[in-house]
Amino acid sequence: MLTIDRAAGAALAVFALVVLWESRRLPLGSLSNPGPAYMPVGLAVLLLFGGIGIAVLGSGSAPLSSLGFRGEWRHTVAIFAACAFCAVGLERLGYRLTIFVALLFLLFVVERKGAVPSLVFAAGFAAGTFLLFDTLLRVPLPRGPLGL
Amino acid sequence: MLETLHNLAVGFSVALSPPVMLYAFVGCVIGTLVGVLPGVGPLAGISLLLPATFGMDATRAIVMLAGIYYGAMYGGSTTSILMRIPGEAASVMTCIDGYAMARKGRAGAALAIAAVGSYVAGSVSVVGLMLLAPPLAAFALRFGPPEYFALLLFGLLVLAYMSSGSMLKSLAMAALGLLLGMVGIDQMSGYFRYAYGVVELGDGLGVVPVAVGLFGVAEILATAGQPVGPKVLKPKLRELLPSREEWRQSVAPIGRGTVLGFLIGIIPGSAHIISSFVSYALEKKLSKHPEEFGHGAVAGVAGPESANNSATSGAFVPMLALGVPSGPIPAVMLAALMVHGVSPGPLLIKQQPELFWGFIASMYVGNIVLLVLNLPLVGLFVNLLRIPYPYLYPAILAFSILGVYAVNGSVVDVWIMLVMGVLGYVLRKLDFETAPIVLGVVLAPMIELALRQSLAMSDGHYAIFFQRPISATLLAVALIMIVLSLRTFVRRGLDWRARMALAEKGES
Amino acid sequence: MLVRCVVALAAVVLLPLSASAQEAYPSRPITIVAPFPPGGVADLTARPVAAAMEKVLKNPVGVVNKTGAAGAVGMQSVAVARPDGYTLLLALSSISIIPEADKIFDRPPAFTVDQFAPIALISADPTVLVVPADKPWKTAKDFIEDARKRPGQISYSSSGVYGTLHMAMELLSHAAGIKLRHVPHNGAGPALTAILGGHVDALASGPAVVLPHIKSGKLRALAGWGERRVAALPDVPTFKELGYPDAEFYIWAGLFAPKATPEPVLAKLRTTVRDAVGDPDFKTAMDKLETPIVFKQGEEFQRFFDADARRLAEGVRKVGRIEPK
Repeated sequence: MLTIDRAAGAALAVFALVVLWESRRLPLGSLSNPGPAYMPVGLAVLLLFGGIGIAVLGSGSAPLSSLGFRGEWRHTVAIFAACAFCAVGLERLGYRLTIFVALLFLLFVVERKGAVPSLVFAAGFAAGTFLLFDTLLRVPLPRGPLGL
Repeated sequence: MLETLHNLAVGFSVALSPPVMLYAFVGCVIGTLVGVLPGVGPLAGISLLLPATFGMDATRAIVMLAGIYYGAMYGGSTTSILMRIPGEAASVMTCIDGYAMARKGRAGAALAIAAVGSYVAGSVSVVGLMLLAPPLAAFALRFGPPEYFALLLFGLLVLAYMSSGSMLKSLAMAALGLLLGMVGIDQMSGYFRYAYGVVELGDGLGVVPVAVGLFGVAEILATAGQPVGPKVLKPKLRELLPSREEWRQSVAPIGRGTVLGFLIGIIPGSAHIISSFVSYALEKKLSKHPEEFGHGAVAGVAGPESANNSATSGAFVPMLALGVPSGPIPAVMLAALMVHGVSPGPLLIKQQPELFWGFIASMYVGNIVLLVLNLPLVGLFVNLLRIPYPYLYPAILAFSILGVYAVNGSVVDVWIMLVMGVLGYVLRKLDFETAPIVLGVVLAPMIELALRQSLAMSDGHYAIFFQRPISATLLAVALIMIVLSLRTFVRRGLDWRARMALAEKGES
Repeated sequence: MLVRCVVALAAVVLLPLSASAQEAYPSRPITIVAPFPPGGVADLTARPVAAAMEKVLKNPVGVVNKTGAAGAVGMQSVAVARPDGYTLLLALSSISIIPEADKIFDRPPAFTVDQFAPIALISADPTVLVVPADKPWKTAKDFIEDARKRPGQISYSSSGVYGTLHMAMELLSHAAGIKLRHVPHNGAGPALTAILGGHVDALASGPAVVLPHIKSGKLRALAGWGERRVAALPDVPTFKELGYPDAEFYIWAGLFAPKATPEPVLAKLRTTVRDAVGDPDFKTAMDKLETPIVFKQGEEFQRFFDADARRLAEGVRKVGRIEPK
């Protein structure tokens, strides 16, 4: 039976193994002259034992299916997608356009708010923050090909 | 003593002159703004305004930049308490109990306590700066790599006290955080570790994207998807101020936080974040109700907030007394001094008394200005919570992305924030704590560098840690603390076994 | 009909692009990228330069800090930037070191030196060797002799592995045939703090930051890595005078543009910088920083740059990979 702790512990242990695998290229060094791989390997070993420990002791925790992603995963994915779009578009499309589209998506599509409030909020926020930071505070924010 | 008072009088005459006061005020306001904005911290604010100070007189420039620095410590608590997003890295600990207090309807109280604590810490630590700068600075210089390592080991022990849940899980999170901190160029050998060709990862993941992602973005991912939004709190004016009980509970933590933060701030190179972490752990250890921590303990807000404010004054000690940068922010301020033709160094206090004393006096004034600025704003900020969540969280997300991007102008930071946000979300679901990860990311590169530097200094002999008085003392104290906590561990273990035995007997 | 529409549309879209290709340079704000954190040498040199250039061009010139990986992030960003003359780089001597270091580690280099077109050299501070004042060495000769007697025992701090302060010491070590113990730190600030606290025995540093400490008696300067003596330290000999001509190292700052920048733009930038360097405000700013202006342009700069790059590349190769024993 897959419980939360068992899954988490297993995941941590796998991550530790991945780190150990990735560290094979770095020189290990010795105790009196540790190399770049020394501390990461040590920590990965600790994490490995920790993960195994959590998994072994975790038979008592709640079952994995009780996590309740079902109701919210759509929402979560949508928010993440909007943020990822921001990251991709920020330097390619420029700050104002990217933020405008992202906010519009979040308000209009995800949160089902009316078209007018969404447009107003998104445009106002994008333009307002740009004015405050780029123009007034001189924090360079990227401008896209359309000058936005 | 008389001479100090005379100098202080000179300083106040400089500090209270209208142009200097204006710049102090501007600095404090900008600092507060910078602190409130998630991600952008005082370093970014100071760097942005550095060129603007070139045309100014040296005293005014330094006063304004300093205002930004400690102002940011005031502002950083605001978003931490209201939205669980650290305004800047040192406010991470305030997110935990501050936000819990806000959820209980005590947001105003938390904000007020943070503001007052910051004021007391800021003002008292300036006294320390004023009276003790040269001898303290000389002491601080004696912290070399071995002492540093011993001190950071202390920081690691703090992790043990931070967990309110399972110890094993917290330790695993700490190991994870320490591992994440290993990403980047290895300072001792030049190898790129775990960077996969992305040059921007050369300096590591960065505590700002990690903290904002793990706390802020994760919080939004978790709450926004709920079918029923978080209940909109409409606090009444009466409830805005802390109750007498809450004031009483915050007095001692503020005092301890001030002293602790100042001492940690003096040491060159140490990050403020550590001062707030250590203060949190100390308060939890000394508290009569440690189980409250994580659910809205007043001491969990008062202590760390005071600590990070007095750490800023502490950071000025080596900067002003010796001309030695104790971190990236004092380094920028030293550069500002140099640009104005003031050569920083041990003779600064003697050669430029108006600058030094004017600076000190302006810090007193600045702290008062910030208190006056922040307390009434408590009402304003709490009203921000009334904005319906569906409008609020996209704005917060956009601000977070803006803030994290603005620090380095790098989209890679935004990606790190997002990935850490998802990680934080998943970890919350799986019932793991995320604060140890932030501490790990901060400590890992420092502790590894200190260890390997010490071994380089001693040509591989570990004895160096015990040959030097300061590091030997710190290590001895750390050892005692470990032994003491092992005792509770063992006791708990025996307890557990006894309970298991009882349960088995009951079942059979 | 459809074809006409498409052609008309294409013309409308392409028109502004072609127009922008012919507009006079500069018509937009120019950005100088400083690849180091604010308050460092690159930053402090870049800002007066930008201000002076702005006066000459009557066009905004701003400085942006793109930090990371000892300067590699900022340098890489300009190497791949659009070569239209609006993105420039203020680089330090580490520009020659980083690609070599990448080669040693078998990494694809973050950028290569030929991705840049040099515009001008602005300053070239030779490093100086400082030791704590309470150490017994009074001259560089004492220091070198002691190092020969006790190889690997004298420690020095630096701003990081393969950094400028490290390479300076390495060049000296090879020239004088000595072996020193290297304790890398996280930047020039911590390296200075380490020597002031007495945790290391020596440091190669740019003169500006150590001058106040030399004057106040905490540090002693033994020798300099320059061709000439440092103006502010007239009693400090150069390693060249002492018989080690290979120990020559400058922390220089120069302005670069991406390689493919059109020649007329480069020419305009070169004349601009020449005028900017002569600006009295600029001179005052550099004086306050105690950084002498060393202006080289065109052929002269190219020669200086090539010679320096060659020296540094060799130095890095000699250091090789730092393998733990």
